[in-house]
Amino acid sequence: MKKSVSLIAASAAFALLLAGCAGGGEVTPAADSSGSNESNETAAPMASSASVYDAVMEAGVVRCGTRDALPGFAVLQDDGEHVGFDSDFCRVIAAAVLGDATAVEMVDLETADRFTALQNGSIDVLVRNTTWTASRDGGEGATFVQTNFYDGQGMMVESGAYTSVADMNGAVVCVAKGTTTEGNAALESSRRGLNWEVRAFDDTDLLLEAFLAGQCDGWSSDVSQLTGFRSAYPDGPAALTILPEVFSKEPLGPAVLDGDTQWAQVVNWAVLATIQAEEFGITSANVDSFLTSEDVTIQRFLGVEIETDEGSAALDPGLGLPTDFAYQVVKQVGNYGEIFEAHLAPLGLERGVNALWTDGGLMYAPPYR
Amino acid sequence: MSPLTAVSAKTPPWRDIRVLRWLFQLVVLAIVVGILYWLYSNYQVNISKSKIPTDLRFLGNPANFTFPGQEFDQSSPVRAAFVQGFYNTLRVAIAGILLSIALGTLIGMARLSKNFLVRAVSTAYVEVIRNIPLLLLLTFMNLAVVLQTFPRIEDAWKPLDLFVVSNRGIAIPWFDGSTNTLLVVIALSVVAAISVGWWRTRRSDRTGRPARSLSASLLAFIVVSVGAWMALGYSWTLPVVADRGTEGGLRLDPSFFALLVTLVIYTSSHIAEIVRGSILAVPRGQGEAADALALSHGTKMRLVILPQAFRIALPAIGNQAMNLIKNSSLGAAISYFELTQVAQITVGNGSPAVPAFTLTLVVYLCISLVTSLILNLFNRRLALVER
Repeated sequence: MKKSVSLIAASAAFALLLAGCAGGGEVTPAADSSGSNESNETAAPMASSASVYDAVMEAGVVRCGTRDALPGFAVLQDDGEHVGFDSDFCRVIAAAVLGDATAVEMVDLETADRFTALQNGSIDVLVRNTTWTASRDGGEGATFVQTNFYDGQGMMVESGAYTSVADMNGAVVCVAKGTTTEGNAALESSRRGLNWEVRAFDDTDLLLEAFLAGQCDGWSSDVSQLTGFRSAYPDGPAALTILPEVFSKEPLGPAVLDGDTQWAQVVNWAVLATIQAEEFGITSANVDSFLTSEDVTIQRFLGVEIETDEGSAALDPGLGLPTDFAYQVVKQVGNYGEIFEAHLAPLGLERGVNALWTDGGLMYAPPYR
Repeated sequence: MSPLTAVSAKTPPWRDIRVLRWLFQLVVLAIVVGILYWLYSNYQVNISKSKIPTDLRFLGNPANFTFPGQEFDQSSPVRAAFVQGFYNTLRVAIAGILLSIALGTLIGMARLSKNFLVRAVSTAYVEVIRNIPLLLLLTFMNLAVVLQTFPRIEDAWKPLDLFVVSNRGIAIPWFDGSTNTLLVVIALSVVAAISVGWWRTRRSDRTGRPARSLSASLLAFIVVSVGAWMALGYSWTLPVVADRGTEGGLRLDPSFFALLVTLVIYTSSHIAEIVRGSILAVPRGQGEAADALALSHGTKMRLVILPQAFRIALPAIGNQAMNLIKNSSLGAAISYFELTQVAQITVGNGSPAVPAFTLTLVVYLCISLVTSLILNLFNRRLALVER
């Protein structure tokens, strides 16, 4: 008797659960928003509508989502320092907002976790060579600001194995999991009719192991990343070749959480300042000599007080940034060209499309006035 | 006023243990509900602030990835990817459960062997494997065994020219034809085997002649499957190395192989202990009675000990089966495309994390509850009826 009762209870619970499974999809957006409006009234401290900007000012530190093992972009060194292009842009943001490039907390994230970290507020900004796509803007609740590196997906193979992507019929192509590279590789395979087997790996260390063991014929990722991994390859960079074809657009840039325009603008102008500084020819070495410049556009940019009939004042465009933020960025970190030369040029990367617009590239900053 | 009347006086509610118990439980319940509501409302507020969708509409978006070694169009919806991931979970779970019960039973019996070597080896197996974390075992199997020990595709092992073993997978000879036809043939053979076995048992009950139902069933299975094979003109294909992979036969993905072997090794070490314990739990008199009838050791095990041990072992083995299903989610760590891996990839490709993982969670819950329900029904039929 006892057994049959528990069996009935179990099956009732199961039926309930199945009903739950079936009904899960019927949550209407209207019900969602009304629920959230109600709870807005009694919002817990965590759910306040203040900008991330205020939280950063209060904490005195920018929490920057980054990574620990991508040569050139972000590498965690033995002394605990992060070094690289992306790491420097984290410092650019800290220098702009807080006037101190060292006031930054680097948070290492796995590729698949990066947007979750942004969504749940455990980081303030994501600078982790992340491609700007429409569904990430929409689905992940991320807002991308100024692209700081225009990249494209390519293919790396053992030297001598292939000379062109078109030769790679039936090849096993390895990629990192949870990235746009996965879809791009599959698309390229079907577009060229090459019948690739695309294998996705949890992180690049596992991918490297598989590549070394010969499980993969090709390693597909953004060309900048491939260049970085090639420079650190155990058998030496010459053992690997990056094929000439580039088969996707990968604009990489910082991302912040949706619905916080003030913080997005602050991060955006911090990045733009590095580009504008290079255009003016201002570097970390010569920035002090520009403080006495007669050029009013440079005076505005560096926050120098400008004499007018109504007295002297530095331009404050109302972004919430200190008036000397550009000076601090260039002085403490450097301009775009300096950051590129320090971290990406040593890997063998050319400026290419990442040159200034005045040199035929895509790097262009709106006027600061 | 005698002391007796004082005792019979009514206890005030604040000193009544029954009232206090209720009150305490209500307070705890209120706290739990309050915390859950607080978490949920926070989630709602934060999600509405960041404009992240909370519904299941993302299931209709294109998946944008492929399954290695499987037919899957990358423009298919995320829903189809989840279904494929679900099948892959079932594939490794079913194969894993069957193999670990078989291996576990053998090792469990070996633990009780009178042969010292057999006993020592099986004891060592159980003690070593049971005491290693599963994730570590899986990573080791993938990195050390599949990636490093198996050869590159250029110098693949080809034992008897029937198999092709490399770190890109293990290809085995397989039927040349559709899998559905194969499944129908197997189902027909199983039905034939069961009905022949049932008929033999009934005939034995009626006439008293030995049933030999097991060998008769096996014979029926072989006759039907080979007959269908001949009739349909089925043929084998042997795998060969072609391009950078293999052609023909059936190719087991290297990550599938690593995951299956790890799960079987790990779970069978637990099942072995359950089997050993269940055999020891069969009352001693049963074995002695069988000995008194002069049954051989094999017959005694097959007809007297094991059927009773099986009854005792079933609920515990069922738990191990459910553990194996849940542990198969570790396949995500070595890129086996099961449910968890699919969820992680779709989230990385733009699906909202909370609904996608909630869906995954519910699917696992459904699989486990269905398994548990089946096991309970089975167990109820088998359990000793005590009066």
